[in-house]
Amino acid sequence: MTAPNPETDHVAIIGASHAGLQAAQALRAGGWAGPISLFSAEPDLPYQRPDLSKGFLLEDRPDPMALKAEAFFTGNDIALHRSTTVTALNAGARTLVANGEVHRWDRLILATGARARTLPYDAANMATLRDLPDARAVRAALKPGAHIAVIGGGFIGLEVAAAARNHGATVTVIEAAPRCLARALPLEMTEVLLNRHRAAEVDLRIGCGVTGHEMTGDRITALTLTDGSRIACDMVVVGIGCDANTDLAEMAGLTIAAGGIAVDGQLRSSDPAIMAIGDCASFSNALVPGPVRLESIQNATDQARHAAAVLLGETGDFLTMPWFWSHQYELKLQMAGFPQPDAPMIQRSDPASGAFSLLQLDADNRLVAAYSLNAVADHVAARKLIGSDSVLDPGRAADPGIRLKDAVAEPVPSPT
Amino acid sequence: MAQQLTLIFRKPDGTDLPVEASVGQSVMESAVMAGVPGIEGECGGCLSCATCHVYAPEGLTGAGDDEDAMLEETETPRRPESRLSCQIRVTADMDGAVFGIPGDA
Repeated sequence: MTAPNPETDHVAIIGASHAGLQAAQALRAGGWAGPISLFSAEPDLPYQRPDLSKGFLLEDRPDPMALKAEAFFTGNDIALHRSTTVTALNAGARTLVANGEVHRWDRLILATGARARTLPYDAANMATLRDLPDARAVRAALKPGAHIAVIGGGFIGLEVAAAARNHGATVTVIEAAPRCLARALPLEMTEVLLNRHRAAEVDLRIGCGVTGHEMTGDRITALTLTDGSRIACDMVVVGIGCDANTDLAEMAGLTIAAGGIAVDGQLRSSDPAIMAIGDCASFSNALVPGPVRLESIQNATDQARHAAAVLLGETGDFLTMPWFWSHQYELKLQMAGFPQPDAPMIQRSDPASGAFSLLQLDADNRLVAAYSLNAVADHVAARKLIGSDSVLDPGRAADPGIRLKDAVAEPVPSPT
Repeated sequence: MAQQLTLIFRKPDGTDLPVEASVGQSVMESAVMAGVPGIEGECGGCLSCATCHVYAPEGLTGAGDDEDAMLEETETPRRPESRLSCQIRVTADMDGAVFGIPGDA
């Protein structure tokens, strides 16, 4: 197909959260002069999502932080269509249907995100946590003395549990897998995190499933568990992962892989006029053997910038280092890099001290992944070291008396 | 409604971008809402991303410990007056304050 024409081509972006909005901003900043339309099913201005399961649950404020003010959209000539659901996509005709109206496009970016998995219970007091109405519903239930049942001991579930304890609610976390965060964190760090929850009197039921529920009217009043117990509850929060929103992509006949919209290294779908970015996209590249979907702000915004760059003529692949964070109580978890499941870990500082890092080196002692808990300096140093040619001295990297950024091995003098 | 005032963001080429800000929000928030180029605030202000680096005016310098560590990560050169703008609250006496945007002119 012909190259995009930044002077006249109309770029339609479906989804106006972190990825979609960043793509629009990066296109304009990069000189795209053609029309840009941003379709959002939500009524609100695009807003900060990570905080919905963290600070927003703790503080009494009506709205989350907007990502951009209204004036940004008018000032940059970005047509933001709010409360506008795209219901049909036709790749061949280069059209979409939104709120019953047909829009023509020349280039399309799918930033449709993911939706929270839930349970097949029809209950007024059960919520997932994905968007602003969800967060408002959860926050309203976090009251002193209320009992919150959290199904799923992943990041969302544990963040909700921490916020609930902060409000004086009691919490039971029910995790079906034999351990929490098995894919996301090394066991040693997960244990420190879970011990903090235990110290806060969160009732952790790990390796425990839900067998049934009791209803009164339209509300769940108790859950029964595989360990034979019965958990009375005022609110059920379900945090059992997400599924990519691929309906429109499937309607347009695009290839789906690993549960997401398959994209190449330049984030193009199986139709070269359509790109996909963020939570909904399955990608692979030289650094990440895929196809894989990453659900993080870093991935959403970095892919958005790359997609915009590709439309503006960039020919390189999307290659960035993943990083991620979570806050629970006073614990600040930060992760960076490309974890190798079987590589050994180097520990910096004693986990009992409440601040430590776990580092993974490759066979050549280059840093490939780092997990830090209340160790911001380590995380920051790791983000510079991962992907660089720097070779670490494992002994120095393990020594908390030496700054991680100074743990680079002395170069071996070349024989002369 | 929180008190409104104007903050100035000075681009690396010396041109000024006046931005409406509300007392109580962070300097990062006011910049990001207006789409000030070079200030991303990707993590929403929780000291995780180091993408809201500014050169702060006198009286607003002096980073906290974690902020100091994050400032090591910034893409743009660090100076004594470097701050992460998510860590600076907008106060009523800041009308007209000038924040430098790091980068090449």
